[in-house]
Amino acid sequence: MVKLFPVVALLLLGTAHATDADDLAAALKQARQWTARGQVEVSVFFPPRTTPTRAANALPAVPFRPALLARNFTVTRGDSEAIAGRLSTRFDLTPRQGAAARWSLWIDRVWNVPLAFEERMPDGTLARRAAFLKVNGTLARVPVQPLPSGTGLGTVLKSALPGLRLPAGFTPVAARARAEGQGGTEITLSDGVNVLALIVAPRNVRPAVGVASVRVQGRGGVRFVWLVGNLPESALKTALANVRQVDEAGLGTFAEPADSNR
Amino acid sequence: MSQFEPDMFEPQRDVSDAELDALFAQAREPNEADAGAAERFLVGHRARLTQLQAIQAQAVAASPARPLWATPNKPATWIAAALASAAVIAGVGVLRPALMPADLPASAAYAVYQDALGEGW
Repeated sequence: MVKLFPVVALLLLGTAHATDADDLAAALKQARQWTARGQVEVSVFFPPRTTPTRAANALPAVPFRPALLARNFTVTRGDSEAIAGRLSTRFDLTPRQGAAARWSLWIDRVWNVPLAFEERMPDGTLARRAAFLKVNGTLARVPVQPLPSGTGLGTVLKSALPGLRLPAGFTPVAARARAEGQGGTEITLSDGVNVLALIVAPRNVRPAVGVASVRVQGRGGVRFVWLVGNLPESALKTALANVRQVDEAGLGTFAEPADSNR
Repeated sequence: MSQFEPDMFEPQRDVSDAELDALFAQAREPNEADAGAAERFLVGHRARLTQLQAIQAQAVAASPARPLWATPNKPATWIAAALASAAVIAGVGVLRPALMPADLPASAAYAVYQDALGEGW
């Protein structure tokens, strides 16, 4: 009996973690159909902008992908806290590997929908925050917006950009052609919560916080690959360090399949 | 008396022929002034030659060093070609940065990232 205790304790511990992740997944599923309304303060410090804080009447959208989130993040239930006078539970999302941003979500204890989001950089600096200041008495229905999963895009991206080393946990989920006049392709990478923008463009971009680029050889001449996101500069540069050429033909013909995370 | 009187065409007989012959003979005879004329001319000529050579020597000494190769008065075609090539190279060097598209500002990258974040941020 004594020997079985550690095993039982581990099972209980594992069950507790799974429960936290399942509870969060249920809340995120609920949030795809229902949302709270009221007065929201939205602050964005990355990407930088002249006026980081503004007001809104609903929380901004976060493209959660539950399958990737469960794979890449440890979900931990935190304390109960009040958001806009409503009791909520905080869930902390910590990346299992790599230097991705960490998140906290406050879920209403009754409605089971988010009342606040917070994204922090690996060093703890606040990157984004959105939280209700006042909440209306009832939930509002939201139209269902399917997210592309990018199934098969990983293989295409690997052949299109040989040498690309995707940051830990990130996988391509969407690709689209850039606007006419700009030229090139935009690929969205996701780890379940955070996103990175991978751009193949005919022109280079100036280096900045969260922006790295590399010059490569394309079929039509010189091209540039940008990687943009909330990652340390070293992680962004490492991802592009071995990229020497690009073949956009495969990316251009990529057809987005249905979202498998739904 | 007619105006065509033969007397009008007759030379005056103030000097006799003999006196003229003597005068001519005297002119043909070398005198003291003629004795050193050639010598004086040669001495002066040699002096002028020496002075001219000295002036030329000074001019050569004052002139810049002679180039290793002969430079004709007319500029060689290769100089013009070299100058044209240098102008082309300089022009390309100056204009090439302008012809290459400039790097986009970081806001162009942030705009793409912003689109990927989701609506409302």
